[in-house]
Amino acid sequence: MSAAQLGRRWPWIGLLCFFAAAWFALGAVSASELSLLVLAFYYGLAGSSFSFLYGTVGIFSLAQPVFLAVGGYTGVYLYTQYGISPWLSILISMALAALLALPMGFLALFRGGTIMTALVTLIVAEAVPPILAAIKPLGGSVGLYLNLQPGSNLAAMQFSGALPFARLFLLGNVAVIGFFMLFKRSRFGLWAAASRDSPAAAGACGVPVLRIRLAIFVGSSMIAALAGLVYAQYNLLVNADLFLGATTLFQVVVVALVGGAARPWGALVGAILVTELSYYLTQAASGRPGISPLTFAGVFLVIAILAPRGLSGTWERWATARIRRGPRRPAAAATVPGPPSAGAPDRAAQAEPTADVEREHRR
Amino acid sequence: MFAEQLVLEGLLSGAVYGLVGGGFTLVLGVGRIANFAHGAFVAAGLYWAVFAQDQFGVNPYLALGPGLAFFALIALGTAELFERRGRQVGEIGELLIGLALLLVINGLLEALYTDSPRTIRDFTLGGVPVFGFTVYGTQIAAAAFTFAVAAGIYLLIRASRWGRALRAVAEDPLAAGLHGIRVPATQRAAVALSIVLAAAAGIVISPFTTIYPQIGTTFLITAFAVVIVGGIGNTFGALLAGLGIGVINSLAGGYLASYWTTLAPLILILAFILVRRERGVTA
Repeated sequence: MSAAQLGRRWPWIGLLCFFAAAWFALGAVSASELSLLVLAFYYGLAGSSFSFLYGTVGIFSLAQPVFLAVGGYTGVYLYTQYGISPWLSILISMALAALLALPMGFLALFRGGTIMTALVTLIVAEAVPPILAAIKPLGGSVGLYLNLQPGSNLAAMQFSGALPFARLFLLGNVAVIGFFMLFKRSRFGLWAAASRDSPAAAGACGVPVLRIRLAIFVGSSMIAALAGLVYAQYNLLVNADLFLGATTLFQVVVVALVGGAARPWGALVGAILVTELSYYLTQAASGRPGISPLTFAGVFLVIAILAPRGLSGTWERWATARIRRGPRRPAAAATVPGPPSAGAPDRAAQAEPTADVEREHRR
Repeated sequence: MFAEQLVLEGLLSGAVYGLVGGGFTLVLGVGRIANFAHGAFVAAGLYWAVFAQDQFGVNPYLALGPGLAFFALIALGTAELFERRGRQVGEIGELLIGLALLLVINGLLEALYTDSPRTIRDFTLGGVPVFGFTVYGTQIAAAAFTFAVAAGIYLLIRASRWGRALRAVAEDPLAAGLHGIRVPATQRAAVALSIVLAAAAGIVISPFTTIYPQIGTTFLITAFAVVIVGGIGNTFGALLAGLGIGVINSLAGGYLASYWTTLAPLILILAFILVRRERGVTA
């Protein structure tokens, strides 16, 4: 295998190594750390649904928690009412989320513009809890509870400990990261990048901009539904507060933006960092209420000011700049023009909405 | 009689919506910034009144003056932050700052005051019987404050040199800049003014509002509804839209299930987005 081939494959090798290492490492951590990791992996998967949407087509949607709730409610409702296994409900919940995402995406994208989309999706997310509270079969404001099965019951997606859930979420994260990496280099991914960077130019070239945006909106809703369903099974309950509470509503977006929303790994990196930090700061403050949301908010504010591309985006930018600069050399030799660095990544694949806005702004 | 009561109640709460939305329409129309923290500044104003009563035993109206000075300082810093991020990163940078500020303010309020609801204790301005029910003096004072502020802003925008600059920047920032208007400074001023208005609204409505840290998100949605219905950048439209939304909410809450008070603004927004009325109700 040549160095260039290895260079192209290293993200996949890295992903597989991470998966294998994390899979086995999860078996060795303490129970409290394991429950923290379940939370981090859940936020990672939920945040990936936002990353997929924002990173590929630049849609800033705050409605992802609605699709998490769709997943959660579908799994618990179908199991408690009809005894349908949550594994089968995954497909049903994804289909339901897609059905809901179509009209919602159309409304959110109808007027275009990041601000309008963000505000419309926020309003939709805020409108859902009172609607759920009014639907009696879904448990009203109390929600639905799962009966605890003795021991582990694979068909009911109930396990005696947190380890299987942690591994399930880990698998989901790795699958979504892999899909994101494949997607960015596919033809559809390039169309999406064109729609994000210049919708008018993409449209003029025959790219169906609105259809692509809608399709990705629907795809991201399906990822969110999957995360929501597994999280509801882990908690053995589902209610509006679990996904759409005042503090939980924004956390999905926050972890993705802290980690770097345009990068496949971003949401997972952000989720692990923010969840761990939030836990240890709450411990340091002797469990004082409000510290956890304040930590999420504080980290987000710092990142929004200092590194709006998120941690992985900033690191990648720094690493790319270093590769392009090449090794240090004497001043006289530096003036000799040379070929572009072989290690420099593809610009189209690295582009992100923030950088495009920056270029537009400078122009 | 019941309908008249609901309409009157709606007008009183609608005046507050108009005040909150008036600031938001300024920041969206002139500053071209979706300040997600706008509602959170209303919440901060509400808690300023709580703080003043807890610490110094003063009523919200006495706390208004120092509150305006305090929030003016905060507003100037925030406007500078928005401006700097906007210049460096663009629209998305401003959006992130707004969202981060919303979360930080909510988190701070929760950490300081917990999420238990609070009210302003033992403060009243009496009441006036209208249509068989009592309209409290504090509600009348809030409505009067709204109309006074709306009139002041209207005059400022229509008759002053600075107001003309605001309108020019809202219309076309590039052309305004070419005519010698300092666009960034004007946008900063609009953002700062909107934040001060939001905080002032919070202080004025505190005597008759149940206060909790996340109330800001509710006000943000109301403000957005007001802006969409009233027209972006249109303060007079915001006042009319606020009154209209207040009445619709009140009637919906009175005759339909309680959750319709949340859904009514949403349906209005969606309807206005779909029919594409760019200039809102005053068009």
